[in-house]
Amino acid sequence: MSTTTEERNPRGIPKAPFIADIEDHIGGPDGDADGPLKRFQDALAKYRFMESNLSQRRAGLEDKIPDIRKTLMMVEYLHERREGKSKATQDDDLDAEDEDDLEEGSSQKPLTTTFELNDTLYAEAELEDTDTVYLWLGANVMLSYKIPEAVTLLKTKLEAAELNLQNTIEDLDYLREQITVMEVNTARVYNWDVKRRREKRLREQASGSALAKTAEG
Amino acid sequence: MAQQVNITDLDLPQLADVRRQLEEELNHLTNSFTQLKQAQTKFKNCIENVGEIKPANKGKTILVPLTNSLYVPGKLSDPEHVIVDVGTGYFVQKTRPQAVKHYTAKVQYIQGNLETLQETISKKQDNVNSVINVMQAKLQQQQQQQQAPAS
Repeated sequence: MSTTTEERNPRGIPKAPFIADIEDHIGGPDGDADGPLKRFQDALAKYRFMESNLSQRRAGLEDKIPDIRKTLMMVEYLHERREGKSKATQDDDLDAEDEDDLEEGSSQKPLTTTFELNDTLYAEAELEDTDTVYLWLGANVMLSYKIPEAVTLLKTKLEAAELNLQNTIEDLDYLREQITVMEVNTARVYNWDVKRRREKRLREQASGSALAKTAEG
Repeated sequence: MAQQVNITDLDLPQLADVRRQLEEELNHLTNSFTQLKQAQTKFKNCIENVGEIKPANKGKTILVPLTNSLYVPGKLSDPEHVIVDVGTGYFVQKTRPQAVKHYTAKVQYIQGNLETLQETISKKQDNVNSVINVMQAKLQQQQQQQQAPAS
């Protein structure tokens, strides 16, 4: 019954021990079954609480990840456009006459987009050619980044979020296993206790009737 | 559909049931009222937003949201038109006065609904109050009856 050397999973969730021999765990045929039962109930409550926490965290992450992906795609797209433009302006210097028409077309075209002003309201705007994007980091904080830095930041955020999500899903599965083990333990201890009471009652009845017989005879 | 039953004819447990039912309905109606109010505030905001896209702002630099967390500097290119979501996946490009008219009409429609709802809510509240009164009267009656045989 030692609790000092419990196994834990990589994130520190304790493993639920499966009680194979109940009588041994309780401490003999006359041991108290209520103490272990209460302990199991406590452990179950803790596991369930952890499970609800993790489920919430997982839902939040599953929400955020597509958002980060979209932002990353947009920044990479802007990056490519700028690279396309700056290459065009470089070539311009080298061969002036021949490709003038082509490059004029691609290097002068601004990007128009419809953006969201409100839930049902959109307006049109022209995106400036800039090397800086602004990222909303949450908690009323927005920072400006040069495009390559933004790409790096978003990539790291995405990887961290995906790793977190994986870990959380693993933890949830592990927790479900431990909850099942605990519930099985509780059921077995309870059944064993019921059986023991019944046997005790039968023994007392049998010895009671034996005493009555000897008293008569 | 419900027969008219005089609430003084009902006994105490039944009155409790009726009161509980009325209070549930009252809750439901109050929730709907709150939701309508929120929708109305949103539309009022839209009217303000349309007002921001005025020609005076054309050519000014704005931060354009590209996603939930990405903003890029840009310029307002078309201050005369906005695109309005008119429901069921349809987006209509309107001029600013048309859009303002559209949202104002929505705000007024909601206002009418809100007023009707308000009336229904106060009637329900009156019903709940009268049921409670009858309940209290009956309770007093019962207590007097219990005391009378004892004394």
